[in-house]
Amino acid sequence: MAWIAKNSATMQIDRRDEAYLTIALKKQLEDEVIPRYDTRMAATMPALHLVQDTHGWLPHQAIEEIADFLGLQASQVLDTATFYEEYWLKPHGKYVIWVCQSLSCEIMGQPGLINKIKSHLGIQIGETTDDGKFTLMDVECLGSCGTAPCALVNHKLHENITADNFQTVLNSLE
Amino acid sequence: MTTLKEPVLTKRIPTHPWGDPAERKLVTYDQYVKTDGYTGLANALKMDSKDVIELIKAAEVRGRGGAGFPAGMKWSFLPPEDGGRRYLAINADESEPGTFKDRLLIEFDPHIIIEGIAICMHACRLDTAYFYIRGEYHHQREMFENAIKEAYENKVFGPDSRLGKINDRWPDLFLHRGAGAYICGEETALLESLEGKRGWPRIKPPFPAVAGAFGRPTIINNVETLAICTPILERGEDGAKWFQSMGTQRPQGAPPHVPASFGPKLFGVSGHVNRPGVYEEELGITLKDLIEGLCQGMRNGKKFKTAIPGGISTGVLSTEDYDVKLDFDITKYDTLGLGTAGVMVMDEDTCMVAVARNIARFFGHESCGQCTPCREGTNWMSKMLSRIEAGDGTTRDLDLLLEIAGSMGALPSGRGATICGLADGANWAIRTIVNKFWDEFEAKVSSKGFVSLSVVGG
Repeated sequence: MAWIAKNSATMQIDRRDEAYLTIALKKQLEDEVIPRYDTRMAATMPALHLVQDTHGWLPHQAIEEIADFLGLQASQVLDTATFYEEYWLKPHGKYVIWVCQSLSCEIMGQPGLINKIKSHLGIQIGETTDDGKFTLMDVECLGSCGTAPCALVNHKLHENITADNFQTVLNSLE
Repeated sequence: MTTLKEPVLTKRIPTHPWGDPAERKLVTYDQYVKTDGYTGLANALKMDSKDVIELIKAAEVRGRGGAGFPAGMKWSFLPPEDGGRRYLAINADESEPGTFKDRLLIEFDPHIIIEGIAICMHACRLDTAYFYIRGEYHHQREMFENAIKEAYENKVFGPDSRLGKINDRWPDLFLHRGAGAYICGEETALLESLEGKRGWPRIKPPFPAVAGAFGRPTIINNVETLAICTPILERGEDGAKWFQSMGTQRPQGAPPHVPASFGPKLFGVSGHVNRPGVYEEELGITLKDLIEGLCQGMRNGKKFKTAIPGGISTGVLSTEDYDVKLDFDITKYDTLGLGTAGVMVMDEDTCMVAVARNIARFFGHESCGQCTPCREGTNWMSKMLSRIEAGDGTTRDLDLLLEIAGSMGALPSGRGATICGLADGANWAIRTIVNKFWDEFEAKVSSKGFVSLSVVGG
């Protein structure tokens, strides 16, 4: 989960002039989110979600901007961002496929399924297809055990999937 | 056989045997009110807040989130009001594999939860509530956000709320979205996450009732625990008696501080059965009745091998325990408890070594990394089980596996080596699987040169 040891001392941060945390997003956070909590720090997760939902992932510059905005150190925001699995610190494909690998899904046939998806897309887990369309990830329990196996494609949950019906779903995506 | 006379939590959600799940639709505020919705809150508001806590205590409602702690008692741990903020955190971080019961309520009948939240806020004098929902529940989050909006429009919360001012503030309910971390279902990790930090469980004491979110008194309850308060309050003073007419009494001869298992419960059944799904039944239904009745038997006519009674941390049942009663007293069958009542059923073809490997991998992946025994131990077990599954293990590995399992956890069985119970779940699951299905593990490993020193059943 949180144990990625990287030397950040010599790390180059890609920067752009345009801010990721735009004035509109700042206003939205200031008006709707920050008043909900006792501290500004508590708005970290909503702010990360908001930037990620707008931009797709969380570049380091965005982390710094969020930290500035909330009056925190960038390392504090990065600490939170690296802990949670849903935050992307690198770009991903247009569609992220999260295949559940927990027990109910495994005993209902997930191992065969994931192999078929891998060979269909021609990628391994954690990789993105060359056309940038799909990123394949495995994930622990999606809370859909009664309709196992299941997978999320971006925000949409697909239940009772088989290699065939899931292939139809993937083919139908633009 | 215990049978529920009428659906309680699933009153508005078609569920077998009373309705067809295909007909499930979102219950809006108006539809909810038309079917006696918000009468429980009205009854609660007529009562003094202390009397509401007494009623929940008298009903002996036990928490539905896993530990089975008496809810009324938890509520009475709060210090007296001092004018400052007091919080309610609702745990909807339903991440335990095998558990998908809260999702049903959030998705289809969110107002039964919101009413329960309002009742709890009135009873405990809490002014702000946070609904912590797991990140993966995207559709459910949208449903619940709409329901919160409806509740504000109809003055359940917000300015001029029907609850009146609490601690000199109008009561509020906010949704807080998690981001994919199992550990945030642990109550203090949930609070850390709410405060914008990584989800590392806190050392207790102080308990959250004294110093929780933002250092203020906080009550943390599971979604189903709050939802079940609604039908109790709907029946007013008779609620306690009605609630106790369902479920099972405390075990014979048990001391009075051992609570009974009253009331209806949502059981989420998954795995090798013909009709998996969420069913509402009285506590104390037998596993056999659940499988053969509501779930229409084992899939493909296979034989029952084992079941996990309430999410993978609770460990597995033996094959002989097919007619075990599913209530909070299930610990006598060497499980960690009823857990979340997410029953996972496995048939005779299931390889228990693979099951153990999957469970160890889950805990290794989800360990937050704060305590060394858990961070290292869960991953060590996971690697070792992968090796055993591949046929490269030795008998000595099995001894080592049990030794590692026995050296992590917050409970005495884990030597009190960790802060929270995640490692207890891991150690219990692995130990029960290895001990109860020892033959399968032994058959997988090579006994060349090594003799097992393990005491089976320990």
